[in-house]
Amino acid sequence: MQSKMKESEPILEVENLSASTDNLPILKGVSLTVHPGEIHAIMGRNGCGKSTLSKIIAGHPSYNITNGGIKFLGENINSLEPEERAQSGIFLGFQYPIEIPGVSNLEFLRVSTNARRKFLNKEELDTFDFEELVKEKLEIVKMDHAFLSRSVNQGFSGGEKKRNEILQMALLEPKIAILDETDSGLDIDALRIVASGIKKISSAQTGIILITHYQRLLDEIKPNYVHVMSDGQIIKTGDSDLALELEKKGYEWTDNFIKET
Amino acid sequence: MEIIEKIKTNKSIDNQTEIQKICLDKLRSRPLPNPKSEQWRLANKSKFSNFLDYPVNEKNPKFDTPFPNTSKSTIRLVIGNNCQINLIEKNYSIQQLTQDELDKYIKSQIFCFDQNENWSDLLNLSLSNAKNILGLKINGSKIPPIEIFSHSSGNSLNAKTLVIFLEKNCDVELLQVNLGKENSSLSQLTYFCLEENSSLNHGVVSYGENRSNLLNSLKVIQQKNSEYNLGSLHFKFDYARFEISIKQSDGYAKTNIKGMQVTKKDEQISTYTKIEFNGPNGFLDQINKSLADDESHAIFEGSIIVPKIAQKTDASQLSRNLLLSNLAQIDTKPQLEIIADDVKCKHGATISQLNEDELFYMRSRGITLPEASKLQLSSYFQEIISFIPISKDRWDLLDKLLNEK
Repeated sequence: MQSKMKESEPILEVENLSASTDNLPILKGVSLTVHPGEIHAIMGRNGCGKSTLSKIIAGHPSYNITNGGIKFLGENINSLEPEERAQSGIFLGFQYPIEIPGVSNLEFLRVSTNARRKFLNKEELDTFDFEELVKEKLEIVKMDHAFLSRSVNQGFSGGEKKRNEILQMALLEPKIAILDETDSGLDIDALRIVASGIKKISSAQTGIILITHYQRLLDEIKPNYVHVMSDGQIIKTGDSDLALELEKKGYEWTDNFIKET
Repeated sequence: MEIIEKIKTNKSIDNQTEIQKICLDKLRSRPLPNPKSEQWRLANKSKFSNFLDYPVNEKNPKFDTPFPNTSKSTIRLVIGNNCQINLIEKNYSIQQLTQDELDKYIKSQIFCFDQNENWSDLLNLSLSNAKNILGLKINGSKIPPIEIFSHSSGNSLNAKTLVIFLEKNCDVELLQVNLGKENSSLSQLTYFCLEENSSLNHGVVSYGENRSNLLNSLKVIQQKNSEYNLGSLHFKFDYARFEISIKQSDGYAKTNIKGMQVTKKDEQISTYTKIEFNGPNGFLDQINKSLADDESHAIFEGSIIVPKIAQKTDASQLSRNLLLSNLAQIDTKPQLEIIADDVKCKHGATISQLNEDELFYMRSRGITLPEASKLQLSSYFQEIISFIPISKDRWDLLDKLLNEK
């Protein structure tokens, strides 16, 4: 199955990527290729650069690429603005979704969805048509319609915020979704809802990168590849068994790989 | 400063009223406010001088309100335009104050004037002729919303005065609109007296055009168990100054203030507030927002005075400011002066820029930077705009703020 996947062009190619913030190097030569239909998991200790990698792919302005680059659907996107990346199909699910007081969730979702639809040459949706669409997508994450009338993420519980992220993913229909610790702060039921939502949205044409600390999300969504990061580098890549082994042996076990490299 | 020269040489006004004479005499002894005083030290001298450079216009050209009167049930008055009103209905009455009532009240106010603190009031009352003073007494309930317009005409300085008595148990929604025409100055002075158990939802929207100036002074006296809610917005003036003085004369009153000033280009807009509690169990909740862009300057100075008699006062004053450009300037100074020992008073100030995390979050969803900034600003504005009575059904203030260059 994997060889069949590889026949297609990659969605995302991170090539020997080094990046810094405030002159402090964070990523030190990361390479990662995601093909359509693939699910990649990235694991590693806190501070190893997992979230930074996700933010740099999404175009966070606080980071500078010092070497290497990122290709999305064959095009170098190093100089693209975050909104251009999002419109073209890159989605970042935030570890800590941001609260935006005073901005209605419904309006925020509609403006975002229309920005993506415009890029795809699809007709932009007015409030009524959008309400129809969003009603259908709310089902995926089992969210109540009342969340739409509240301010973006304001007063949402941890689980509701994460479900709101997946709702956004469902509306934006990205080519690649990078989900940064989407499982953190979720109880078992919420984790299942979120995981089932991710599975429903993903397809043979999309790629997913799951950044996680725990096996429990990977029990729900089985990755094709597991990468272990340490000190701004990917130090080991394997299949889903690597995550199981990591769960058993802990990150100390991966220190040996650093010594070897 | 054409007008000051005329005041000094006693050539300013024809057919002076007694009040004008009293005020002109006071001004002559000290024609300008002390630039070193707390109230005036940050005023841009050249802009203030421009304010005073226009000749006084005592006539009022016909004024067409730029906003549609969408509701027949709203009472609309334009100060200066032969404004006559005498409404006596089943539930309420709105009547003009007699000249004696007006004179008596204004004189009693002038008696307590401080030259620096009340300089804007002195100037207004020196220049406001009888036609430009509107006095009303309002009584009753189920009163239709009231809109009162003041405007300046081009290349002149106009002075308008409004005095309103709200009688006992009266409940009113009133929106004041101050419109500054291009190249003009407007001096607006407003007095409100809220009698016991009365309630006023007051909106002030001051909207200028190119190179227009405004001195807007608001004096409120609240008696026991009265409630005064003020939502205000000042924008698009080259120079504007909003002075608010509220006195809870016997305590047991409630005051809520949500004000905002928006400055762009090289404009300067300032708000000075003084809230005095002269009795126990008073309440105040005040938020003032400033947004400064380009090379503009916004100022807020607020003082809360709680003397010994004002025990159990509960007052809060917050100044929240947004700086959108490295060349813009915001000065803010919330102050408390507390003598009473059993009170709950707090104040605070923040100055920040647009929240970078919120911006990135929105951009990561495909929303462009200008759109994301607009969404953020609209939420910043909305808190104040939604507090301004009447306006929200009538004009799109948010659109004006977000889309006007």
